[in-house]
Amino acid sequence: MAPVGRTDWAEEEDEDSSLQLPQQQITKNKDGTETITTYSIREDGKRVKTTRRIKKTTIKQIVNPRVAERKQWEKFGSEKGKPVGPQTDTTSVAENILFKPVAGWKSRTEDSREDEKKKNNLKDAKIKCRICSGDHWTTKCPFKDTMAPEGGDAPAEMGDEQPEGPGGLGLGSSSYVPPHLRGRTGGGEKMGGKFERDDLATLRVTNVSEFAEEQDLRDMFSRFGHVTRVFLAKDRETGMAKGFAFVSYADRSDAAKACEKMDGYGFRHLILRVEFAKKATT
Amino acid sequence: MRPILLSGHERALTQVKYNSDGDIIFSVSKDHVVCAWFSHNGERLGTYHGHQGALWTVDVDPTSTLLATGGADNTLRLWEVKSGKLLKTWEFATSIKRAEFSADGRQLLGVTEKRSGHLSTIVVYEINPDPEAEQTDEQSLRIVCDESKATVAGFSYLAHYIIAGHEDGSVSQYDAKSGELLYNNSEAHEPDMQVTDLQWSPDRTYFITASKDKTAKIFAADSLEVLKTYTTDTPLNSAAITPVKDYVILGGGQAAMDVTTTSARQGKFEARFYHKVFQEEIGRVRGHFGPLNYVAVHPQGTGYCSGSEDGYVRVHHFDKPYFDFMYEVEREHAQANL
Repeated sequence: MAPVGRTDWAEEEDEDSSLQLPQQQITKNKDGTETITTYSIREDGKRVKTTRRIKKTTIKQIVNPRVAERKQWEKFGSEKGKPVGPQTDTTSVAENILFKPVAGWKSRTEDSREDEKKKNNLKDAKIKCRICSGDHWTTKCPFKDTMAPEGGDAPAEMGDEQPEGPGGLGLGSSSYVPPHLRGRTGGGEKMGGKFERDDLATLRVTNVSEFAEEQDLRDMFSRFGHVTRVFLAKDRETGMAKGFAFVSYADRSDAAKACEKMDGYGFRHLILRVEFAKKATT
Repeated sequence: MRPILLSGHERALTQVKYNSDGDIIFSVSKDHVVCAWFSHNGERLGTYHGHQGALWTVDVDPTSTLLATGGADNTLRLWEVKSGKLLKTWEFATSIKRAEFSADGRQLLGVTEKRSGHLSTIVVYEINPDPEAEQTDEQSLRIVCDESKATVAGFSYLAHYIIAGHEDGSVSQYDAKSGELLYNNSEAHEPDMQVTDLQWSPDRTYFITASKDKTAKIFAADSLEVLKTYTTDTPLNSAAITPVKDYVILGGGQAAMDVTTTSARQGKFEARFYHKVFQEEIGRVRGHFGPLNYVAVHPQGTGYCSGSEDGYVRVHHFDKPYFDFMYEVEREHAQANL
C-alpha cells in the first residue's frame, strides 16, 4: 500500500497514526531482575525497541536512631512546606574533584610551576637585538657600528678576546661557544675584519621547509666541510622555521663547494636556494 | 569526590558547623539568616529568622536540640534546632564574634567585640538543655580582655579552661570557673597577626589555631605549648583537625578586600590538607572562588565542608584515596601491627 516514491504528506500522516506502538512490557525474570521492553519512534521515523534489564536492590544502612529521627523532622523557616529531598534552588552538585593525598605534594607542584614561570619569561622577552641578540632594540645596540646584523655567533670573537668574561657584559648574546669552535673561528688566517670572515664563508639558504630543524641543515651541509654555525630563523610563537637559514663554514672553499652543490637541492618537497650571504649594509 | 554546593545564602559565609552526629550542618552568613542542612544530600532542613545584622558565629549543643548564634546586631540568640523557634535573646553593647557550647552543653560562651568604649569580653551563661525551660539572664562568668581583644574562644576538656585567641596573635588560658588569667602565650603567632580560628581536637585536650600570619598551630590545652606548626603562603581564616585520619585542613586566601584585584588562580582559595604529624602538605581541594572563611570537619571524619566569601558552602564526602593514604612509616607500622 505504501509505494516508495510517495510524497503525499497527508497520506504519510495517515500512516503514522495507524502505526500502533505495542504496549510496554514488563517481565519478571527468575533471577529477580525485571526486563522492560518499550517501543518508540525515532525522529527519522524508524521504530525502536528498547529492552532494559533492571535489578532492584534494597540498600540497608544502619544509622544512629537520633539521626534517623531528625530525618523525619518537618521543614521550617524558608523551607516550610517544601517536599522532601534537596531543592534545586539551594542545593546542587558540583563537578567531580579528584582528591588524592600524596606525600611531598608541595615539591611536586612547585616543579611544574617553575616550568610555567620560565615559559612566561620567554614569552615576555620580546625584545631582541638583531646585531648582538641582547635584550634591547637593534637601534640602541652598542655594536651597531661595528657589527653586522644576524651575527648570531658574535660571542665567538668575544670569547677569543676575553675568555674569562662570563659571556655577558651587556653584549647580550651569551651563548656558550665550545673551545674547538673558538679555535676554528679565531683561527687566524682571515683576521681581516671581525665580521668579514663570517660573511665570506656564510651561505644564505632560502626556501627552507618550515618543518626543518637546524640539525637537518647541519647534517646536509657538513658533507662539504666543517660547518661552524647553522642559524635557522624560527618563529617565536609557533617555533616553526621561517624559511631561511644561514650556514657558516670554517673554510670559504668549502662554502663555495656547498653553494654550488646544494643550490637547487630538494629538501622536504622544497627546492633549496643557496647563495653567499651578502654583506650587511650598515 | 563530588562536592555538594549549598547556595542558600546571599552573602559571604562566616561560619559552618556540623552537629555532633554529623548529619546536620549549620551555616551562618552576613545575610542575617541561619540555615540548617542535611549533610548527606545537601537538603535544607530549615532557616532561623530573627537576627537584624550580619551573623558571625553559630554553634550547636551536643544533643542537637539548642543552637546558639551571634552577630553584628549585638545579640546572642538561642534557638530550638528542630523547629527554628527563637528561645532566648541576650543583648550586648557590641557584636558577638564567637559563640561556643562546652562539651556537655551546659555552658555557652560568647566573645564580644571591642568597640566604642567597650572592651572585648568573654561571657559565659549556664544553659538549661531543655528547650521549654526559661534560660537565665545572669552571666555566670565575665572575662574582660583589656590587653588585646579576644577574637576566638572555646572550652577545653571538662570545661576546665577557657582558651582564647587574640587580635595581637597571642593565645591565653583562663580558669573556666573563676575567670582568672592563668597563662598568656604571647609568642603563639606573629605579633599583631590576628588569631582567626580555634578548633578543638575531638577530646578537647589540644586545639588548632589559624592566624593571619599564614600559619596554623596546634597547642596543648594544658600548657599552651606549641606542638605542631603548619606554614602556608596565604593568610589563614580557619583550621580544623580531622578525626580518623591524622590530617588538618586549613582554609584561607587573601583578604576579601583584595580579592577583586587578583585572579582566582593567585587567590589561593583552596582547602589545604596537611599531615597532622609530619606537618607536610599532602593536597589541596579547589572549588571556591573566594577566600575560605571557615572549614568544619564531620565528627566521624567522613567529610568536611567549607564556607567561603563567595557565598557558597561546599560539602565534601571523602573518597577511598583519602582514607588509604599513608606515609611509608605509617604503612610499616600498620603492617607490623597486623
